[in-house]
Amino acid sequence: MTLIDAANEADALEWMHANGCTDGLPVVIPTAERVDRMVLASGLDGQLSLGAMGPGNGETTIEAVATNAVMAGCLPDYMPVVLAAVQAVLQPKFDLAEMQGTTHSTAPLMIVGGPIAQPLGLASSFGALGPGHRANASIGRALRLAMMNIGGARPGESDMALLGHPGKFSFCMAEDTSASPWEPVHETFGHTAEESSVIVVGAEAPHSCIFVDDADSPESPQRLLKTIAATIANLGSNNAHFRRGVVTVALNVDHAAVLGRSGISRKDAQEAIMGYAVNPRSVLRELNPTYAGKGDGADLIRAVASPDDVLIFVAGGAGLYSSVFPSWAAGANANSAVSQAISIDLSCEIPA
Amino acid sequence: MARRGTPSVALVTQTFWPQGDFVSAADGMPSLPRVQLPHPVAGSGVEAMTRVANDVADEIIAYLRGDA
Repeated sequence: MTLIDAANEADALEWMHANGCTDGLPVVIPTAERVDRMVLASGLDGQLSLGAMGPGNGETTIEAVATNAVMAGCLPDYMPVVLAAVQAVLQPKFDLAEMQGTTHSTAPLMIVGGPIAQPLGLASSFGALGPGHRANASIGRALRLAMMNIGGARPGESDMALLGHPGKFSFCMAEDTSASPWEPVHETFGHTAEESSVIVVGAEAPHSCIFVDDADSPESPQRLLKTIAATIANLGSNNAHFRRGVVTVALNVDHAAVLGRSGISRKDAQEAIMGYAVNPRSVLRELNPTYAGKGDGADLIRAVASPDDVLIFVAGGAGLYSSVFPSWAAGANANSAVSQAISIDLSCEIPA
Repeated sequence: MARRGTPSVALVTQTFWPQGDFVSAADGMPSLPRVQLPHPVAGSGVEAMTRVANDVADEIIAYLRGDA
């Protein structure tokens, strides 16, 4: 840990801004006392290392993670979720160093599932990705600050995103299991319903997907799936041209009900979306011949390579809009989603 | 590849040169052979790419031969 000597917290904040330690917004000053409390909340040794974080290969100690959690404004109770998110992005399958360095506008989207979400106040409904939810905002921000301060991501030097997106400040929500017609999405990653976990996936900002139901029409559920698929296959997306990578779909509660009343399982929805998310090769070739490949122009080219690459779950308030998050679709593992169990066995309650 | 002893040289455009500095230092290979290209190269057309290739070919070969 680097200790700085400042006359007061205002001076310390200016030092941190000047030395590139912040995301551009004010942070909570990580005094030794605050960091110690956050480390204590983890139940782990502050010097324990989770590994090197790319691209700068900084040592990801518990203390370093705790420091960034303090800066982000986390409560000590959030620490297990922050730790799990950090462990998730350190999985080799996530290709973090490559993702941090890409020119594409991708950011790690966190989806928290399981019993921990409710007591922490993690929002899954109206505006879950917007302002106003402390747990969502600060947990997502803690991961971003860790990626900057431990992983070394700096715009224009090691984070080469041409524009980025606001989710690079914070990008965290919970799954709305109460409104979901399906099993919790983290069960598809091998976790149990009783377990808490975080799924992390590289994602663009949400693309709005409008759909108006017609309960009298038996075609309505398929229209919804086609609408989602069309948003995924949009001709400016990497997925359309690279034909790989995970695409995230946050179904709002009303849209989830449309699929639920029709008995459409998550697997059914994933397969249908994959089948509908196509573009004729001739169109891809006309717009972007570099990636169109050889073959007949009439070929229908899938934007999603496998049903499992459609990461679909319920989140967001009631209304007409669901959200699709296209992905970078690159890296050695094609922008894979990863998950990590949230360990609360070791954490302890910190007295006020 | 360089770590495995395979003759290697990275071709990096001017815009991404600072990122190359960062990554090569972070990976413990600050002297990894690199050749700077103008930016952009991708999509700049056959004539421009041929000119770039002619300009840097000798430097690349020298690195690969270990002469640089």
